[in-house]
Amino acid sequence: MLLRHSPSRLNLINLRIMSQEYYILIIGYIFGFYMAWNIGANDVANSMASSVGAKAITIRQAIFLAGILNIIGAVFIGSHVTNTIRKGIVSTDIMTDPHVALIGALSALLAAALWVSFATWKSLPVSTTHSIVGAMIGFGIMAGGFSVINWGKLLAVVLSWIISPLFSIVIAYLIFKIIVRLILSKKDTFARALKLSPIFIGMTFFVVVLSFLFKTPLGKKMDLGPPASLTVAVILSVLLGFAGMAVLKRFVKDRETGAEGIFRRIQVGTACYVALAQGANDVANAIGPLAVIYFLVKTGSVGGKVPVPVFLLLFGGVGIACGIAMAGHRVMDTMGRKITTLSNTRGFAVEFAAATTVLVASKMGLPVSTTHAAVGGVLGVGLARGIEAVNFGIVFKIMVYWVLTVPVAALTSMAIFKLLQIIL
Amino acid sequence: MRLPFFSMFMTSPFEGLQEHAEKVKECGWAFQQAIECHLSDKCQTFEEFRQEVIRLESDADAIKRRIRGHLPKGTLMPVYNFLLFRYLREQDQVIDAVEDALDWISFRSEPGIPAELEKDFVNLADAVIAPIEQLSKMVAEARTYFKNYSEEQRVLIKKIIRTLRQQEHEADKAEDIIKQKVLNMDIDAVTIFHMVRLAEIMGSIADHAENAGDMMRAMVAK
Repeated sequence: MLLRHSPSRLNLINLRIMSQEYYILIIGYIFGFYMAWNIGANDVANSMASSVGAKAITIRQAIFLAGILNIIGAVFIGSHVTNTIRKGIVSTDIMTDPHVALIGALSALLAAALWVSFATWKSLPVSTTHSIVGAMIGFGIMAGGFSVINWGKLLAVVLSWIISPLFSIVIAYLIFKIIVRLILSKKDTFARALKLSPIFIGMTFFVVVLSFLFKTPLGKKMDLGPPASLTVAVILSVLLGFAGMAVLKRFVKDRETGAEGIFRRIQVGTACYVALAQGANDVANAIGPLAVIYFLVKTGSVGGKVPVPVFLLLFGGVGIACGIAMAGHRVMDTMGRKITTLSNTRGFAVEFAAATTVLVASKMGLPVSTTHAAVGGVLGVGLARGIEAVNFGIVFKIMVYWVLTVPVAALTSMAIFKLLQIIL
Repeated sequence: MRLPFFSMFMTSPFEGLQEHAEKVKECGWAFQQAIECHLSDKCQTFEEFRQEVIRLESDADAIKRRIRGHLPKGTLMPVYNFLLFRYLREQDQVIDAVEDALDWISFRSEPGIPAELEKDFVNLADAVIAPIEQLSKMVAEARTYFKNYSEEQRVLIKKIIRTLRQQEHEADKAEDIIKQKVLNMDIDAVTIFHMVRLAEIMGSIADHAENAGDMMRAMVAK
């Protein structure tokens, strides 16, 4: 053996393996970026749909805001540590063999990117989170059989198909009913909206602050605990609520627009929040597997969690922003023409419901998708008789794709894994 | 791109309803001109007005079909879709009745309306035009109501519906006066039949407008 493998030959083999790994890393970068691009192209609709539809912001502003905020969300709020298997749905035992882990991460990324881009092409509403979760399941099954699947966590995914839209429906319904009862049905809606604006602005900030404290690495570092977090959130939201009212009083003079004029401004804030949360939340879908590949190539092994370098977060954020910038215009243009029945008060209810659902559900450990929450929000306002016409029937069609996402991504991932195993 | 998300949002049927109501209103004007023209001795333009009404009726029909054809099963609206359809049917029957009245006149344009009845027919025409004009106003106010759900707005709509009922009652009275007069006139049976039937058709314009009002009342019920 030694005779046959001289030191120089061994070096050559090592070099070959090394260069192969670098190729994989490059491919990982390409597909990670592609996945991020797709997230941007697809999900921009979720965060900005109701704002653009309700004419709170223009298409150009929406693209700019969504792009910038997604990058900021990804870099500053996005998790700097990622679970190697998103949402812990597959046991990390399969990660012990670096070669298998490398192939697995690449095939999961490829499979998810393929499914999401197919969805983009065919205009299907799918969740990028669920795509990557499905792809990871596929890889897990191939690497370790069915025993490595954490069925409880998978059940959480299934539950999220029902819980997140349902939760969003209830919140949107209640918020809209409250807006009608307290503001819209009154005589001077402008004065009423202005008077009650601290409540609505405060509520939004309450959700934002809580999600910041609970969900972001920075918040986790502060480690305030639930009672302290709640106190901080309440104090901040009261202060910011009244500050918001003062700003509205100063800048919104057109009384003719009534309550809608006030909510148009508040809605800009909620849209920004959704975009920010999206960047923070979804960037891991694209760069999580990439981080695994990166870590494997750099260190040769991987555990249950890997650190995500800031440049990767930025890479993902820029990818999302590119998707928004390149495909966003078309999406928003469609929105502007399609969603004409959504006024600012309705748009606020939808966005507030979606953002709150994403926060609460992810706190419960459910892998939620902003798409699901946004759809639920629209239906909630529709059920509260707030929209002149909403197609409820389409929801069942949408749900089919939610359900299909996991198995399709899993099967694709399995096929790619098998193929890569043969090649590499 | 995420089109199914957008597919949740549909063109509002209320837009079509408003458009349809505007057609009905235009039709009312043309109808009034046609009747006035028919009653004057030197009428040249009756047929033109009748053609105008026929054109408006076919436009309104197209709008009606568009509304019906674009409300798939599972559409969520501020009102039940069967109420919307029934409202639309009544509003459409207003325009149909207008067309029928002018057609009926055209079937026997000579000798025309007897001089003794001219004033009564002018009264009846005025009485049925009034509710027609209320319809588009009612639809516009209803749309505002479905935006803000304010009680004040609801009261306003209910007031319009009450006005419609009163106007229908006035039209009924005008119709009865004509029938009573015609049946006691010493004229040929064909003219009697022609006039009675004309009064009935014209009266039905107000009936359908009132029915539309009743449907609207059901739509804004809490």
